[in-house]
Amino acid sequence: MSVLEGAGAQPPVPPHRKTVQSAWAGHLVPWRSRIYAIIALGIALIVIIGIATTIGSVSVPLMDTIRVILNKIPFVHFTPTWPNGTEIIILDIRLPRIIMAGLVGAALGTAGATYQGLFRNPLADPYIIGVSQGASLGAVIGFLLPTSLNLLGVGVIPVFAFIGALLSTGVVYVLARQGKSLPVTTLILAGVALGALLSSVISYLVISSGDKMHSIIFWMMGSFSLSQWSDVWLVIPYMVVGTAVILLYARPLNVMQLDEEQAQQLGINVERLKIVLLAAATLITAAAVSFVGTIGFVGIIIPHAVRLIWGADHRFLLPLSVLSGAIFLILADLLARTVLSPTEVPVGVVTALFGAPFFLYLLRKRKKVIF
Amino acid sequence: MEVTDQLGRTVSLESSPQKIISIAPANTEILFALDLADRIVAVTDYCNYPPEAEEKPSVGGFSTPNIEQIVALSPDLVLAAPIHQDQIVPQLEAKGIKVLVMAPRTLDEVVAAITLIGQVAGAESNASALVDSMQKRIKAVTDKTGGLSDGQRPSVLFIVWHDPLMASGLNTFHDELIKKAGGVNMTTGEGYPGINLETVIQADPDVVLAGVGMGAGADAPLVFAREEPRLRDVSARKNNYVFGVDNDTCGRAGPRIVDALEEFARLIHPELFK
Repeated sequence: MSVLEGAGAQPPVPPHRKTVQSAWAGHLVPWRSRIYAIIALGIALIVIIGIATTIGSVSVPLMDTIRVILNKIPFVHFTPTWPNGTEIIILDIRLPRIIMAGLVGAALGTAGATYQGLFRNPLADPYIIGVSQGASLGAVIGFLLPTSLNLLGVGVIPVFAFIGALLSTGVVYVLARQGKSLPVTTLILAGVALGALLSSVISYLVISSGDKMHSIIFWMMGSFSLSQWSDVWLVIPYMVVGTAVILLYARPLNVMQLDEEQAQQLGINVERLKIVLLAAATLITAAAVSFVGTIGFVGIIIPHAVRLIWGADHRFLLPLSVLSGAIFLILADLLARTVLSPTEVPVGVVTALFGAPFFLYLLRKRKKVIF
Repeated sequence: MEVTDQLGRTVSLESSPQKIISIAPANTEILFALDLADRIVAVTDYCNYPPEAEEKPSVGGFSTPNIEQIVALSPDLVLAAPIHQDQIVPQLEAKGIKVLVMAPRTLDEVVAAITLIGQVAGAESNASALVDSMQKRIKAVTDKTGGLSDGQRPSVLFIVWHDPLMASGLNTFHDELIKKAGGVNMTTGEGYPGINLETVIQADPDVVLAGVGMGAGADAPLVFAREEPRLRDVSARKNNYVFGVDNDTCGRAGPRIVDALEEFARLIHPELFK
């Protein structure tokens, strides 16, 4: 373990595994600059939340926005001079939506980094082991049921999506498990196969869903258009606990990059690590998609972008992915709700449309082996 | 007989068709209203009005009628809709089946479609009686609403679906019905644009109409319009001017569009239409 600690430490490079160096460290970025990056992104996140709150299809003067928000603080009182409805627009429409986008972006970014690290596979994203197909199937079934159904005070769609995501991942896990071990390749293949199976069921249900087709497709591309505070409070516990667990396992994840056998020899309980990280990453992904749909691209692009800029050490990669994911999705949603205002674009369209060129730019600029 | 349909296609028909298949609910309603029920050999799964239409054999869905079944019934005429323009119509024509497409976008064009079907099927007198009564009823509404000043025209939001929130904009039947019924459509985009909550709160509509259907859960847009807490301060909510209207009546280009106009007028101007 000790060899892995300290500033910019080189991992041990066994001569027979030449890829390990690039896999683990990427390029070496000074330790201090990554600490600064975390602080800077934290500040940027707060500033961007502030800016996003002032922008929308209805124009609210900046000072009114600030006064409306400050009015919520005890002992601060501004006499309302703004038009009726401004408070609802700022506090009940924009803010919960922005916070939700931030939470979901953070969850998808973190889950993507976790899966990529755990599977040592650059193509892994939060949906690789069937979460999105499970969630989509659950949601589609929810759409096709009488919508008057209400479970525990939540609409039927988030509940079904959440259950679907957990169920499908559970099935993949059971299928891939061999005795006491969980071979990563089998896990990915089982995920892809079950995903294909569920996709065909989803396609059939969507085609035969008649006038609900539009809503279903919109859900699958993801949208924050109706996010509200009660949704935020429901997903926060899953995300905080899941993300905290993942962050605690950053160092073992680094060791896992060597290969499972060596990690085992270095004292890591590899099988337990896999189960804990899979459970945590699945939980935050399921919570993220259940309310807002299967937003693509964030989970795969954010960890890679972070890795390109700040390197592959999970102790920094994970927290930087939390912050970058949140910032990216808040900005994507800002575009989604303003670019064709008052019409809304599904946020999943924006993430791909703007995220892909940015990622390709990073890829060209660095021209390095990133994984 | 040479006939030009509402897409401008010219079709030559040998004689007054006796075996007609309607692959659009609106066309089915027109055929029944013209008392041509016994010429209908098949309809679609979505043809639910009048109730007798459901007893007719079906050739499948509205957007997905089964070509084989249609061909097997060897109809003299198929009455289609614009939705069939790209794939279904060419396939039917390639098999030698005569197709007329009804594509009304306005109340006047609905009337024209009825006249055209009456003419083709040799039911001119029924058609002109129906058209006369429709035009009289339309005029009865517009006579009362035509003279309203801008200040007397409430702004109206028509919610098509709530998640994602979609409203009826320009160049829709709903838009024309709102205007003729003496309202102003709050939504200014084309067609059925998505719209966001903050726009609705700022525009502050006086009346909210929500399209509802027959099936389970099809009243979801109305439930949303009545219960979404963030719309609580909108005028329509405060004054209890949130209503559900039947999607089939106000969305189908058939004779019942006039029922919809009268209903819109009663809801938007209860003081004028009692």
